[in-house]
Amino acid sequence: MRWIPFFCILFCISLFQSTMIHWINFGPAVPDLYFPLVVFYAFITDMKRNAIANWFTGLSKDLFSEGSFGINSIFFVAAGFFIWSVREILFRGHLVTQVLITFIFSVIYNVLYAIHVSISFHTLHFPTTLWIILSCSLYTSMLVPVLFWIFNKFCLSGGFFPIRGE
Amino acid sequence: MRTSTPNFSNLIKNPLATIITLLAVSLTLLFLSPELSTRIKMTCAAPIRPMQWATCFCSNLASNFFDKVISTWQDTHRKKELEEHVVQLKNKLVEQQDTIYKLQNKLYTLSKFQVQNKNTELIPADIIGYDTSNLRKNIVINAGSKHGIKPNDIVVSHNALVGKITSVSGGSSVVQLITDPASRIPGRVVQTREQVIVEGNATNFCRLKYVPRWAKLKTGDDIVSSDIGGFYPSSLPIGTVLENKTKDGDLFQSVKVLPRVNISKIESVLVITN
Repeated sequence: MRWIPFFCILFCISLFQSTMIHWINFGPAVPDLYFPLVVFYAFITDMKRNAIANWFTGLSKDLFSEGSFGINSIFFVAAGFFIWSVREILFRGHLVTQVLITFIFSVIYNVLYAIHVSISFHTLHFPTTLWIILSCSLYTSMLVPVLFWIFNKFCLSGGFFPIRGE
Repeated sequence: MRTSTPNFSNLIKNPLATIITLLAVSLTLLFLSPELSTRIKMTCAAPIRPMQWATCFCSNLASNFFDKVISTWQDTHRKKELEEHVVQLKNKLVEQQDTIYKLQNKLYTLSKFQVQNKNTELIPADIIGYDTSNLRKNIVINAGSKHGIKPNDIVVSHNALVGKITSVSGGSSVVQLITDPASRIPGRVVQTREQVIVEGNATNFCRLKYVPRWAKLKTGDDIVSSDIGGFYPSSLPIGTVLENKTKDGDLFQSVKVLPRVNISKIESVLVITN
């Protein structure tokens, strides 16, 4: 795994997510560009690099977001670990698997984050929050084909499958 | 018999040890005091703020350009008509300015407001970043402690409340919007004089808290800030009532409020410092 392209992609994602994301919003549906990166690295790298990459991704999201510093890095390391542990029983090279896994784990991550916010502030309205979580997760997973193609081009020299034996 | 001693390089190679170490670091960060974690965040993000500003600036330029192109394409046939209208309005404006000048002089002598708010200063700032989390609503502006901004300063746009400053660094500040789940603002319904609390819920709308069942709110009622608590200036427009429901058995009404300021449509704000 090459770290320089990873940090370049992480930097670009952080910049886009924190400045231009409203260009591609559909009402409450805001894509989370960090999460596909977590899924991508959980699919292609070994456990240790996966954990480090996801930790940096979470920390980067924490830096540009208000709230508890470190919470996203914990969630991303945990999500990355669970995806890594089940990847051998999945057709992880298939696009549908990538989209579905991103959607399912994005919903789980967002629900956990919403619980955290709800405990902290007691203000979230359950049906509205659920609608936001589902729409955001769906939008994020819809972007997976494009994002995985970009990550594949930048992070891997030989495409998705040659790394499988790593 | 040979005994093995724990080797640090082996520990680094162990993936589980790496995960545990990373989680321990994250947990340590999580339990830091809010002031310290905010300071770490602002310091780490400071080198990226100029790039955020540049990206936002370019994005706004592009957006304005596209808006212009589209509006030119749509409104060419109305251009002449509007130009005539503008000339008429300009003439009227000159008349009005004279009247306003006279009235201002009267107001200055009559009102004590000017005296009370002598220390108030307005600082203009551009929006350079948005919160990366879907469930939080904050923005970053390109004015900080160098410009005289302090935490808890009030942020407005088009004379309506946008939010308050939560953290400040040298050249940038984070603004907690009124739609953020952590935001609670004392407010008042203009029409009924009912006292309410406006709270954010991570959507583009706010909710009113503690509106009694018997309060006669209706769609279109205006909500303004209240000076109760001494934190917010009074009479700053916050939003308008969009819908209100009263369910059987509930003590309070459920009221949805549309904020006056659409944050995705504005590029700059004013910070009221005191």
